[in-house]
Amino acid sequence: MRRLTPRLYNALHSGLWPWLCAACVALSLLMLTALLTLLITRGLGHFWPATLEEVTLVSGDVVIGQPVREAPLPNADSLERLYFTGNRDITGANWRWVAIEDIRHQTVPNDLIRLERSPWGDFLGRLTAVESEGQRLTGQEAWAFVNNTLAKPASQRPAGQLLLTTADGQTLYQSLDSVTHFQTPNAMSWGQKVVTWGQRIWQFLSEGPRAANTGGGVWPAIFGTVLMVILMSVIVTPFGVLAAIYLNEIAHQNRLTHLVRIGVRNLAGVPSIVYGVFGLGVFVYGIGGSIDSWFFSDELPSPTFGTGGLLWASLTLALLTLPVVIVATEEGLARIPDTQREGAVALGATRLETLTRVVLPMATPAILTGMILAVARAAGEVAPLMLVGVAKLAPQMPVDGEFPYLHLERKFMHLGYHLFDTAFHGEDVQAAIPLVFAIALLLVLIVLALNLTAIFLRHYLRRQRGNEC
Amino acid sequence: MKSYCIRRGNKYRLLLTGWLMLVTTMASGQTATVGGTLGAVGSDTMAGLVLRWGEALNTRYPDITLQFQAGGSASAPPALVAGTTRLAPMSRPMTQDERQQFLDRYGYPPLELRVARDALVVVVHRHNPLNTLTRQQVDAIFSTSLACGAQQPIRRWDALPATAEWPFGQIALHGRNLASGTHGLFQSSALCNGQFRRDISEHPGSSAVIAAVGESPNAMGYAGYNHLSPMVKGLSLMDAQGNAIAPSVSAIQRDEYPLSRYLYLYVNLPPGDVLPPAEQAFISLIFSDKGQQIVQAAGFVPLPEHHRGAQQQWP
Amino acid sequence: MTPPRLPLSRQPLRQLQDRIATGLITAGGIGVLLAILAIGVFLIWETLPLLSFGDALTLSTLSPLAWGTLKAALAAMLFATPIALGAAMYSALFMSSRLRSRIKPTLELMEAIPGVVIGFIAGLLLAPWVERNLTSTLLLIMWLPLSAALAGGLWHLAVARLRKRLPLSLAGIWLIPWLACMAALALWLAPLIEQHWLGGDLRRLLDQRYGLDYATRNALIVGIAMGFAIIPSIYSLAEDALADVPHSLMEGAQALGASRWQALWKVALPTAGPGVFSAVMIGAGRAVGETMIVLMASGNTALFSASPFEGLRSFSASIAIELPEATPGGLTYHLLILAALALFIFTFVVNTLAEVVRQRLRRRYQRLGGAL
Repeated sequence: MRRLTPRLYNALHSGLWPWLCAACVALSLLMLTALLTLLITRGLGHFWPATLEEVTLVSGDVVIGQPVREAPLPNADSLERLYFTGNRDITGANWRWVAIEDIRHQTVPNDLIRLERSPWGDFLGRLTAVESEGQRLTGQEAWAFVNNTLAKPASQRPAGQLLLTTADGQTLYQSLDSVTHFQTPNAMSWGQKVVTWGQRIWQFLSEGPRAANTGGGVWPAIFGTVLMVILMSVIVTPFGVLAAIYLNEIAHQNRLTHLVRIGVRNLAGVPSIVYGVFGLGVFVYGIGGSIDSWFFSDELPSPTFGTGGLLWASLTLALLTLPVVIVATEEGLARIPDTQREGAVALGATRLETLTRVVLPMATPAILTGMILAVARAAGEVAPLMLVGVAKLAPQMPVDGEFPYLHLERKFMHLGYHLFDTAFHGEDVQAAIPLVFAIALLLVLIVLALNLTAIFLRHYLRRQRGNEC
Repeated sequence: MKSYCIRRGNKYRLLLTGWLMLVTTMASGQTATVGGTLGAVGSDTMAGLVLRWGEALNTRYPDITLQFQAGGSASAPPALVAGTTRLAPMSRPMTQDERQQFLDRYGYPPLELRVARDALVVVVHRHNPLNTLTRQQVDAIFSTSLACGAQQPIRRWDALPATAEWPFGQIALHGRNLASGTHGLFQSSALCNGQFRRDISEHPGSSAVIAAVGESPNAMGYAGYNHLSPMVKGLSLMDAQGNAIAPSVSAIQRDEYPLSRYLYLYVNLPPGDVLPPAEQAFISLIFSDKGQQIVQAAGFVPLPEHHRGAQQQWP
Repeated sequence: MTPPRLPLSRQPLRQLQDRIATGLITAGGIGVLLAILAIGVFLIWETLPLLSFGDALTLSTLSPLAWGTLKAALAAMLFATPIALGAAMYSALFMSSRLRSRIKPTLELMEAIPGVVIGFIAGLLLAPWVERNLTSTLLLIMWLPLSAALAGGLWHLAVARLRKRLPLSLAGIWLIPWLACMAALALWLAPLIEQHWLGGDLRRLLDQRYGLDYATRNALIVGIAMGFAIIPSIYSLAEDALADVPHSLMEGAQALGASRWQALWKVALPTAGPGVFSAVMIGAGRAVGETMIVLMASGNTALFSASPFEGLRSFSASIAIELPEATPGGLTYHLLILAALALFIFTFVVNTLAEVVRQRLRRRYQRLGGAL
């Protein structure tokens, strides 16, 4: 075979295989780009004030809604379109599927409005009039009045009610104090849309969840994630560095140390869920349960520390990231030339002095890198947290004005778990998906930023080391 | 999973600072004004509902905040017995054991309030031609044990008359995971305590079930009524008389829909005593029109009018 | 007598400080190592009560999960290994070094994308899309390698000027738009192919002719999603191993008339073989333990089925959803801990193997580097 077609064989070997390999790189990059593009467009697009359409159907029905997506109709060659129509109090559902064939004509009238209300969620339709303190406003005046009112803090708002008209001509009275946001997306200029977009992103980042996690922002989740990660790094760094120093500087470099080193490295590969199981069994049920029976016996059977909480979550993640810190620090320590240590010892320094004055300062960037890598790993980790203390909704923040200010036994919200919860446990998955994209984008950005910091730090460290040597 | 809620009253807190684990204890006083915090522990099915009630209460009385621990219905009775909370929302009635434990501890039974109605709904894709199933068919589709009296299991769509043409192939089944109450309730009420099939996709949440069924025409699943959306179609079920009952608000309200149930709120209230004002406000909110409107907004079914009136006469 | 460099009174203090510090560090270090050891001890300890429950039950409950875990890992490895190794070979030996210094960190960043994000996209977006467009998906999987080969063929036929503008060393970049176009072409062609050759609906065909059931969330989806997640770890380690092959070896082979690919295939790969093997092992370890992706994209059906179109249920996903609700001390609790123990032992063995192999490789390189 090879003799028969040597040219083909050669062409295959030096021609085709490298291309397949190159395509592997290209494919990986393509997938990564596709994923990030998807997250960015869907995540940020969620906040864009979407155009509302008014659709008249063949049957005579009129639908006002925001087109969301299209899906093929089964057993037919046409499509159907999903509209977000709001008005759940009137129609019983927030969504409506409309077959494209059924649409007689569709328009984008400027006078459509979108109200966010509680408890019924969004209203889509028209604002006929506003009645407040004896006066009745219509048209643009009414819009201006509502906008002004909503800009004021809740206590200073005048009482009043809105006269709303739905797509099919029903009228609805909505009291002003149940309205949280007012939007006229079709009448907005491009600039106004950008401003609204920015405002909504800011609200998303700074507010707490509303309407049982279906609306509002993710601030408690951001806060919980950051606090948990900070606590974790406070725990993991000293221990990781201690262990690394012990392994590298103090322990005899024999077979046992070698084995231990392999063991530590391997732990980085142990699945995170196993750490979660350990955390639940040892920290929560074991240590937490004992603490409860010693100090909180009057609270039993309802557990204080004997249930998942901030402290146990941080400890579990600290254990999970310990190998990362140890390995990174050890690498840093191993890079320090022995001449430095010998020089210090020759000048009469004790081991402690050599460590604190010479070795540790030189290893600081490596320790920092290890810490950031640990933080990056912990920030994206969800599975172990599901076992040791994350909550769907934690109304009490783990930090507040009540003594002792930092409540380590409280459950907390976490971005990654919030994502999982919103996507799988929410009330209306269709409404949740855009929100989930926004959360996913935020989580990915945080984790990528942390990783990039670590990469640059390492890069910087290597360059500096290069100059030194 | 249980509650971590801190009991009102004298409380000792353990402060573990960092890795040194310094132990400090202190006592702190209690606040007993009209406002204050209202603790509730219980069902995660009702989490959305209870939190919305809390939000409404907070808008009306800005000083009252509700802290709700959604640990599942099973976490409610222990918390109630322990005195951690006076309010325990549950998606099922208390069992005899749980009631007895409460009675042993306090000497009087907990006050049982029915606060809303709910149902389990069998759902298919919105374009699926299937509209109605009998109880036996549901059992034949979802179980291996056929405890409700079906002759043989139903595995394929062409075994059902309505779907002989389309969709094709096997029925792809979707449901909840073992730990959830919905799983248990469906098992006891729809499968007559039989065994689930093994090839049911067990989703970690009800909205995941709806999402899965809404995306594939040959899927069927079960979920709570509050998760119904236009992505899917909720099937009518045959009642004992052979009438097809759709999962509508009125059918669930009147208890005609076979898989419907009450949602409960258990209150620790000694006979002849009155509740603190915050709890009182919360309960009056629940039975008010606004409270029942919130029930509807959260996707559940409000109580029938007569029922609401009868319960409102409690002390 | 030594000349006093410090007041005599402080010398013993320094010595004492030093001793105490050394003691503390040793204690801390050993403590940490013991804590790590405690994980294994705890898991074994907590599974001991299972012995009293009888083992028949254990086996029948856990075996579908074990199968699911392996099936998911296998699917992911089938998807990830060729791509990761191909990418590693290309970027270690063909890519321009400038490009390599950019591409490598980028691909390694892929590893940082949280599993919960990938799982959500796989479970709620990819799975329904693949179900609707099964033909397109399968076509894509077959068509993309072919289109890469096509690109190579066209390149050899192209005029020299174009070849200079689009060199192989930058192919990792300029193939991206080519592949995107080819993917679009495949997506456009798929419905036609399905119409003409597959009787209009591939899934109906599978069902009627082969009796194959198709579940929305299945091993194929898990394989793609988890494969995506483990590509970077395999790639990174394999690339390191390949790039560290002493240059003299490659140069020698090429001097003897081997083409670059032959040098890679016959010299670099066998030399770096253990390193590549350990990279694959570590990837397998990750695939076995990954939780959120499997939880969200697998359907969690405890089935014994080899079909790539049917669901599965893994150890990790079961632990994540069932353990918080399991009563400590109950049968389920201990069973789930046994599952965790199985995961722990599996990954520990696999990783140790990989680590030992890698260290041996490092020594071999040192020898080779020293000898040449």
